[in-house]
Amino acid sequence: MKIAVCIKQVVTREWQLRVSEAKTWIRDQDASFELNEPDAYALEEALRLKEKHGGEVVVVSAGPARATQVLREALARGADRAIHVEADALAAADAFVVADALAGAIRDEGFDLVLTGLQSDDQGFGQVGVVLAEKLGMPHATIIMEVQADPSTGSGQAGLRVKRELEGGWFQWMTLPLPALLTIQSGINQLRYATLKGIMAAKKKEIRKVAPAGSATPAQNIAAVYFPEKGKKTQMLAGSPAEAAKALIQKLRDEARVIGH
Amino acid sequence: MARETLEVDALIVGGGPAGMSAALRLAQLQKAKGGEPLAIAVLEKAREAGAHMLSGAMLDPSALKELVPDFKERGAPLGSEVHHEHVYFLTRTGKIPFPITPPPLQNHGNYIISLSRFVKWMAGLVEAEGVDMFAGFPASEVLYDGDRVTGVRTRDQGIDKHGAKKSTFEPGVDIRAKVTILCDGVRGNLTKALVRRLALDAGRQPQLYAIGIKELWEVPKDRVKPGTVIHTLGYPLRMEEFGGAFLYAMADGLVSFGLVTGLDYRDPMFDPHQAFQHLKQHPAFSSILQGGQMVRYGAKALPEGGWHTIPRVYADGVLIAGDAGGFVNSMRLKGIHLAMRTGMLAADTAFEAIRAGDTSAARLRQYEERINASDVRRELYPVRNVHQSFSYGLLPGLMYSGLSLVTGGWWMKDPMPAHAGYERMAQLADYYGETRPDVDAPVRPAKIDRQLTFDKLTNVHYSGTRHPEDQPSHLIVHDTNICSTRCRAEYGNPCTRFCPANVYEMVDAGNGTKKLQINASNCVHCKTCDIMDPYQVIDWVPPEGGGGPQYEGM
Amino acid sequence: MILVVAEQREGKLNRASWEAIAAAQQPGGELKVAVTGSGVSDVAAELAAAEASEVIVVDALALADYTADGYVTALAVLIEQERPAQVFFAHTYQTRDFAPALAARLGRALITDVTAIRNEASGTVYVRPVFQGKLNADVTAAGPAPHLITIQIGAYRADAARRGASAAPIRNAGIAVDASAIRQKPEAPFKEAKQAVDLSQAERIVAVGRGIKGQEHLKLVEDLARAMGAEIAASRPICDAGWLPMDRQIGSSGQTVAPKLYVALGISGAIQHLVGMKGARTIVAINKDPEAPIFEIADFGITGDLFEVVPAMIAELNK
Repeated sequence: MKIAVCIKQVVTREWQLRVSEAKTWIRDQDASFELNEPDAYALEEALRLKEKHGGEVVVVSAGPARATQVLREALARGADRAIHVEADALAAADAFVVADALAGAIRDEGFDLVLTGLQSDDQGFGQVGVVLAEKLGMPHATIIMEVQADPSTGSGQAGLRVKRELEGGWFQWMTLPLPALLTIQSGINQLRYATLKGIMAAKKKEIRKVAPAGSATPAQNIAAVYFPEKGKKTQMLAGSPAEAAKALIQKLRDEARVIGH
Repeated sequence: MARETLEVDALIVGGGPAGMSAALRLAQLQKAKGGEPLAIAVLEKAREAGAHMLSGAMLDPSALKELVPDFKERGAPLGSEVHHEHVYFLTRTGKIPFPITPPPLQNHGNYIISLSRFVKWMAGLVEAEGVDMFAGFPASEVLYDGDRVTGVRTRDQGIDKHGAKKSTFEPGVDIRAKVTILCDGVRGNLTKALVRRLALDAGRQPQLYAIGIKELWEVPKDRVKPGTVIHTLGYPLRMEEFGGAFLYAMADGLVSFGLVTGLDYRDPMFDPHQAFQHLKQHPAFSSILQGGQMVRYGAKALPEGGWHTIPRVYADGVLIAGDAGGFVNSMRLKGIHLAMRTGMLAADTAFEAIRAGDTSAARLRQYEERINASDVRRELYPVRNVHQSFSYGLLPGLMYSGLSLVTGGWWMKDPMPAHAGYERMAQLADYYGETRPDVDAPVRPAKIDRQLTFDKLTNVHYSGTRHPEDQPSHLIVHDTNICSTRCRAEYGNPCTRFCPANVYEMVDAGNGTKKLQINASNCVHCKTCDIMDPYQVIDWVPPEGGGGPQYEGM
Repeated sequence: MILVVAEQREGKLNRASWEAIAAAQQPGGELKVAVTGSGVSDVAAELAAAEASEVIVVDALALADYTADGYVTALAVLIEQERPAQVFFAHTYQTRDFAPALAARLGRALITDVTAIRNEASGTVYVRPVFQGKLNADVTAAGPAPHLITIQIGAYRADAARRGASAAPIRNAGIAVDASAIRQKPEAPFKEAKQAVDLSQAERIVAVGRGIKGQEHLKLVEDLARAMGAEIAASRPICDAGWLPMDRQIGSSGQTVAPKLYVALGISGAIQHLVGMKGARTIVAINKDPEAPIFEIADFGITGDLFEVVPAMIAELNK
């Protein structure tokens, strides 16, 4: 199975965000970066599928030059080669532009399966994977918790059986023909550790750099980013424990309406 | 269990300024002198080069100029050059300027840097030379053949909190090297074990340490000119405590601010983090910080014992460089250039030894000779008794430090007698007499407003510290009974105070007694507990790879 | 005109659809509500209570079970027909599965997870969280209408949706969907206890901290949670002590939650805890220490002993 995994480089979760002068993005010149966590699960799932069924795992990232870091990391974990769609503007691009850049790099490779993380830790669109599927003309399924690669679908083509997470503890199996695109839910598997051998091997693997071929224009623009203001005032409820409890329950029922009568 | 083995020529353990300089120098020598290509590897416990680096930081560029002569063209992140210097003695609310800036504190020509960023930059140079950089791989033990060091073993990954292997278990790798250069930093776990096993500290004085607590602030740009350097002595430390504060102003209103306290204080109730909060409330600093925003926090121990405390830094197959060896000038408050310099000298020695096919102690002894012939000794020897002199108090210390500039560091007793810092900590009964303080509450509480002053937990959040939760504690307390019995009675559990990251807590055991709780995932890897614990029952060992603080910009 | 696409599963309307309706009613223009599926007349009738010009039913056998292909095909036709200025969805897992493909097929902007909408002179501004809620972004849509908007669950109140004086007319859009063109073949949904408790889906959470003092007192917390219909969670020290499993931990080393109601009992409010729960809509704090930072982010606070206040709350709830 020939698998593409789309990965993104994001600022580390521990980094203290600061807003840029222009107030339309963060000041990320001095940030430290890491692999978007949901994408790490997508990569792990691809590596496990390859271990089971053979084939090739190719990691693809659309981002500025620094994104090489996460491609290198993915190669160290076992991906076979990497494609880097490189452009500075991709650092904070919208989902359509990113999906278009990825589609340009993926389209002619003839992948059986494309995996992405559910969403990114920075923009959090949750769109790139599904938009990419549409651009590639592939069927897709999202929020995947398990992948079975053997069975045939009704149409007789080689296909996948995947377990989708629905809300409220519900799940659903679904089959779909290959080639297909899946967005992977965090926690689907246990991430493997990097190894010294893997890091050394990664140095010899190819990272192909390509310019974005697509022509998509952004479908949305950020006018401003800012820290959420705490807009509420705390109502302190005084009185005896019984009085305070009574007042509280009444307010939760009638004012906040978060519990029933 | 089958372990993988990796063979290299030179292995550098620790990717700080010493390790990076050693790696870069080795690669340069190899390029200049030709011959069989050397396999060089660097192990670093942080997830990313530079992430665990914390320093003031003031860089004396002397070693850098030699190692990377075109450092400016290559984009070294050097920050601001020092322009204005002030030294004050702080009283409770006032400040008394020193009439002149004492020569050791003169910093013209030096740069205010972020050590984290600087090391990350160096890592880029090292990798570009083809050196294998393994970030996220702590070394757990030194490998020996008899007394000869043959390499290190990396830590096993994927062990759960009860010690069982997880499905992702990945055994550590034995890295065998002709020469291992230990650059594992202050109180490095490997250097500590090596020095003990081979008694490399025989005839040396015990190392003296300090703890530096630092915050990075963003303040309004007109508050303090970039390139301004302020050093203070006095408040909030008392005459009996060694140390002082620093404030370095960088561009864009970024201010590096910290307090260094000797880890040889007497008062068991002393809390360096608390003292730091008091410091921030002093008008000398609150006037600068007020209205600004704290953006990063961190803490790290530093070796301050100086020349007489440096162990033998070579043995069969191994060299020790940088903070691991104690190469810090506590009088100038500088060690980065010495770390770089010793890393370079270690590389010079290792390169020749590998080429000569002889990496025995007899051959590697040249490292010590090189150090003795270098600026390292010229700088450290004259100030060899400085920290020790402060064990007599601030004023005698200052007098000695002043005199030493004249006498070249000579004193009636040379080396000046010294004890390990933890031995100086007094028992509660000796220090407080009849009136035993409440050991679960601060003696001199600082008002925490979470704007200017912070509690330890909030501060830890700003250190970016992250450890995977499901792993064994990397702080090994060999006897936790002592905590609830003897230590509680004698010292009042000072670990709960000297730890700047709220790792140690005494919690109710249910029957009216207290027991120790270790919040290992708060640990910022400062090593203070390993150093200062009065019973010496705490061992800091590296946690799973990549765990620890994220000191971007520090 | 704003078109709201409501969501149903097995003939049951997703409550979050009312939240999307409330958001769409805010500007005061024309509103239509659509619902897709097969045999969904009951759901359509339920939606007809909304103050809307009509309810449109997209009814096809091929839509009986949700599939992304089926929904994208059907809704693309509907949107072409209706030509709304905006299309609103609740930001559910189902919406996340098909809306991006729908937007891509139509070549129209999709703005997801919107928490607030401002109509300004220069155009409509959508507020959405970025960086996992650490920042908000004001976003504008580019390109021609319609713009597709998904509304974060809990951002608008379902009970704020205005009801019409009389039931809105229901119309069948008469859109056919070719079942053979649907590539996903779904099986029947099933319920499964995840190994890890997913508190991020909980509507109400009662969380307990150090103030509980001992494991034996947890029963009190359980009783309150039961009376409120809430899940139990905890701050770090409780899980560290092993009193509750790790998957109940809220905060930077545990789960991040955004329930409608979060009751913090004996939790001081260390920043590590706050980052995991400050997105909750209504926060209640009960703590002995009036200086506890948890009060800074609480909507309702009681300074007092939880061992006195909680039993009183349970009594009040059970009245």
